[in-house]
Amino acid sequence: MDNNKKQSASGKAAADSKKRKEAPLNQNQQGKESRPPARPQKRVKFQDARNIRSQPSDAALDDGKLDLQKFLNAREFEIKALETSMRKCKSANATRVFQQVPREMRRRTASHNAKRVPKRLRDRAKREMMEDNTPTVEARKRRPRTTRARIRAENAKRLEKLAARKRKRALQNDAGGENKDEPGKTTIQTRAPRPKIRRDTLNEPPKPKSKFKKRQINKTWLPTHLWHAKRATMTESTKPLWRFAIPLTPTQKCYRPTHRASGQKGTVYWDTSYMSTVRLYGAAGGIEQVLKALGLVQEGLWGNRGRRWRSGTRTWSGMVSRQQRNSRRDIGPATILWNPTPTAETAAPESNTTELKKTQRQILIRTHPSCFLELFDELVKLAKLQTPQVHIEDLRFEIGSIELTGPGSTETLLAVLQPYHTEERHGQVFSSLVGVTNPASLPKDAVLGFSIKDPRLSYPPKRVDTASKVSDSALLDTLTQWSVEEQVKPYGLFDLHVRFKASSLPPQKSINRRKGASIPGQEMQVTAADPPIPVIVFASRPAAGGQAQGTWTLLAPWKCILPIWYSIVHYPLSTGGNPRLGGLNEQRQIAFEQGTTWFPGDFLGTNAGVVWEMEQRAQRKKAWDRRPKGKRIEWASLDLGAGRKGEIGDGLACDFEHLFGLPTDPSPSSSEDQSTSDVDPNAMDLQPGEEAEAAAKLGKVHKNTVPSLTTIEQMKKTEFQALISSVDSGRPPPRSIISVNITFVTRGVANACARIYRLPSRPSATTTVPSSETEVPATDPVAAGMGSLPADLRDQWLQKLPGNKSGSRPTKATTAHAAPHMPRDVGQGTRKQLMAKSLLSGDPLPYPRPAANQTDIGGGHPLCPGEEDLIGFVTAGAYSLSEGKGTAVGAISAEKAFDTVKESGTKEGRLCIVRNAGENVGWLARWELV
Amino acid sequence: MVRLKDRYLLVNIVYADIPPGQKGPVPDLLLYNQPTIGELRPQTILKGIRSQVNALFGDCGSGSVERSLQVKYLSTATSTFILRISRAHCRLVWAALTFMDRLPVKDGRPCIFRVVRVSGTIRKVEEEAIRRAKLLVLAAKDEMAGKASSDALNALFRGGKDSARNLAMVNDDHDDAEMDEGEVSDG
Repeated sequence: MDNNKKQSASGKAAADSKKRKEAPLNQNQQGKESRPPARPQKRVKFQDARNIRSQPSDAALDDGKLDLQKFLNAREFEIKALETSMRKCKSANATRVFQQVPREMRRRTASHNAKRVPKRLRDRAKREMMEDNTPTVEARKRRPRTTRARIRAENAKRLEKLAARKRKRALQNDAGGENKDEPGKTTIQTRAPRPKIRRDTLNEPPKPKSKFKKRQINKTWLPTHLWHAKRATMTESTKPLWRFAIPLTPTQKCYRPTHRASGQKGTVYWDTSYMSTVRLYGAAGGIEQVLKALGLVQEGLWGNRGRRWRSGTRTWSGMVSRQQRNSRRDIGPATILWNPTPTAETAAPESNTTELKKTQRQILIRTHPSCFLELFDELVKLAKLQTPQVHIEDLRFEIGSIELTGPGSTETLLAVLQPYHTEERHGQVFSSLVGVTNPASLPKDAVLGFSIKDPRLSYPPKRVDTASKVSDSALLDTLTQWSVEEQVKPYGLFDLHVRFKASSLPPQKSINRRKGASIPGQEMQVTAADPPIPVIVFASRPAAGGQAQGTWTLLAPWKCILPIWYSIVHYPLSTGGNPRLGGLNEQRQIAFEQGTTWFPGDFLGTNAGVVWEMEQRAQRKKAWDRRPKGKRIEWASLDLGAGRKGEIGDGLACDFEHLFGLPTDPSPSSSEDQSTSDVDPNAMDLQPGEEAEAAAKLGKVHKNTVPSLTTIEQMKKTEFQALISSVDSGRPPPRSIISVNITFVTRGVANACARIYRLPSRPSATTTVPSSETEVPATDPVAAGMGSLPADLRDQWLQKLPGNKSGSRPTKATTAHAAPHMPRDVGQGTRKQLMAKSLLSGDPLPYPRPAANQTDIGGGHPLCPGEEDLIGFVTAGAYSLSEGKGTAVGAISAEKAFDTVKESGTKEGRLCIVRNAGENVGWLARWELV
Repeated sequence: MVRLKDRYLLVNIVYADIPPGQKGPVPDLLLYNQPTIGELRPQTILKGIRSQVNALFGDCGSGSVERSLQVKYLSTATSTFILRISRAHCRLVWAALTFMDRLPVKDGRPCIFRVVRVSGTIRKVEEEAIRRAKLLVLAAKDEMAGKASSDALNALFRGGKDSARNLAMVNDDHDDAEMDEGEVSDG
């Protein structure tokens, strides 16, 4: 008996565990309204809808005789029956409402949760779910399945009880205490603690709410993290990037939309609060010395031309570097901005320079988090050398930033940033920028610093009225005159107190209350409770120049980023739609499309770039390992033609170790040598606390890689150009690389790690081999040695240039190899004759037919040059939507590039051959310095 | 997309003889579009087609047709029915229909099974049936008004012309030889 019961119970459980249960029977739901079981009902409905009614034959006959009227009636009945059938079928179709929601509004689990569909469809979704008997689970009521979940649930229950008890006690206390406190109701007003920023040490990340504390143990969230986490792919939680949880790419597909929004119509925005900011303050002379030690030695900066920069109305952006034993090594890109002095410095005469040098000045250095530590340590070292000492403040979690690019970016910022004080000059200038469609049209590196109102007061943001724009000529005047120097005041963002005041914005609740109290549609007024938010906006141009879109960067206090963010996100662009979200990948994509380099991925000459490359290698290796053996590239068996086998160097890396002959697997002893000892302190010295882990990580990576890759130096474009144009015998230093932008001449698309070759040189006259050597015997490639590369390989490649009409087919001899083609436009008879001839000739076609590649490589397409002509690697490559063909960004050996250009001139010397790793076909391309 | 692919055939039963109980002259329109008298049910049609397929194509043919052949709609009052058959075997059924010359009932009257439309969706077949019915209604009204009485065949073939064009569209993927065969059976 008992056994039976058990069986039935288990049977029931099995039925329960089916994904979709049969609808509950009527007797099971006595309490609720009883409805027939849903699925049979639905089936009946479908069957009914598909059934077409018809008449018996008597309907068309009049007493067994043919009759016209009856005939007519029968046809009419048929028409009606078919029409109703079609209509019913359509209404009973099997789509559900969540399938009709537009793509950007689709949400996960919308089929199970009516709340995931838009409100107007919610009722229908509910009804459909009921009809379909969709199992719904409320997360709150789900039975905990794992041990951990059970413990958590029990804990939550206990905590709930505790809270209730506490609440009760508080209520009792209140009731008792009211009588006591009645006479003198003096309560102490407390204020939020002002953050302390110690000088010359690293800043602590903001203390997260206890609810989110555990998730931020080894990383810091951006101020907009919760917003991003729902809409973007973030870095893996255990593998943060630069100790931040950074959005990598939006969840939605966005490659082409990003391209459009960044160049043609719209805006792309990023929360770049992860960028690190450092404040340097002290005597002007000391700061100047520090900056010069960082490599800002250009004459233009410290002379009359740099006057605007030093007065604080322009930024400087570029690579900063540090001194090694006998060379300089790049740290990374930085933007440097001076704080204007209250007494306009511009008016001061040049005579009393000593006076000027002593004035207290402040600068802001904004840099990338991957090179921040290196820069910070260097700054500390340099600042200590100055007398009187210059001090450093780490403002990493104090100042956040947002970047925008695209034609609509100015418009978006104009709508969101409303100047707090109308008399501020910079605010006025900013407001007059209505109609600007490219931030690059502003003066180069222009800066505006002013205070804005809380953007929540004017939320939702209104579309900027472009009609109210004064006139094109007035705008042009503003852009050319750019009169921002007069009565310029120090920027509020530099001031801790101003920042702190701005950070204590009134809560959203009080804003809502005020909004409710005011008349609908009326703008909310600024009150004493709303502090001004100090911001600095600056426009930057892409390095490529031309018509490319510039970028706006908005610096604001860390805690004010979120309200500004919401307004930017919801701004209705005048061209339609909203601004688009971007992630790290989109940043790289836009840089790639503009043909510029992206830090740190394209800067192998910096430590940060090396760390990036190492991580990429590890990732590629992991992905390669995951693939089944038959489906991954076997590097050793790659046939490069002319008897060359195997990929050059590591196919999964931009293998500069191979190119420069550096040791790939360094022994511990080699890590002690020369320049590496310069790097190590940065990696290892990293002080206590939160950075220790990063240091360990960095150190770990360095320990493996420092010896070889970090000895590579990055060479600047200007230096290289100077070397090229100079007549004397200067040469670039041996292990130096230059960044290049590569465009394919005809076809071809490069991937990361693609190999870049220069054109092979012509052999000297004595060793010339006849060009028929191109025909490498396909049967015995191994027998042919390395020496069998055709002598006229360079000419073969040059013939691939589109201008060269003669050379689409290099030689007759090579084409003979390929299977003969049937000529077009010949008659049937000729065809037959040809066929018979080919059959009888006794020259059978090779079987199996060689792959297209093979015939190409052995025949029509020139071979890749030898390893001695390898000059560099591609760091990022794809089909460029802006160019309409394949482009790439890469790095090439400066020495080899220098030799090539000197040898064959600037035009031919810039031709190169790019071959993807693991492929044997190379394509002709042209490189440009970046 | 991977799914079962079907074809729907719209078939008309065309008679050419005068029914037994009829007296006096019969207009052509009524003559060709007579209702089907007798015990014609979906099952009998299927049975008839199967036996015909078996006779023409043997066990293999009848086996392949067996599974998917289905009558979706049968109206004896208008002598119209819609068949469903898997796409691969649609031509076997069509051929069988072409060769059938009487109703598949006991003492069946001689008739022609005329396939007027082949389509991948039942919707298009229904639309064609409606279009043809409308044409016939117009012709019948003309007939009642007493004009253009001779044009009954025309009404029949006016539909036929168009449907031949439609068939060409449907059978785009088949090669020309097959196409020719289709047109013959259509006419």
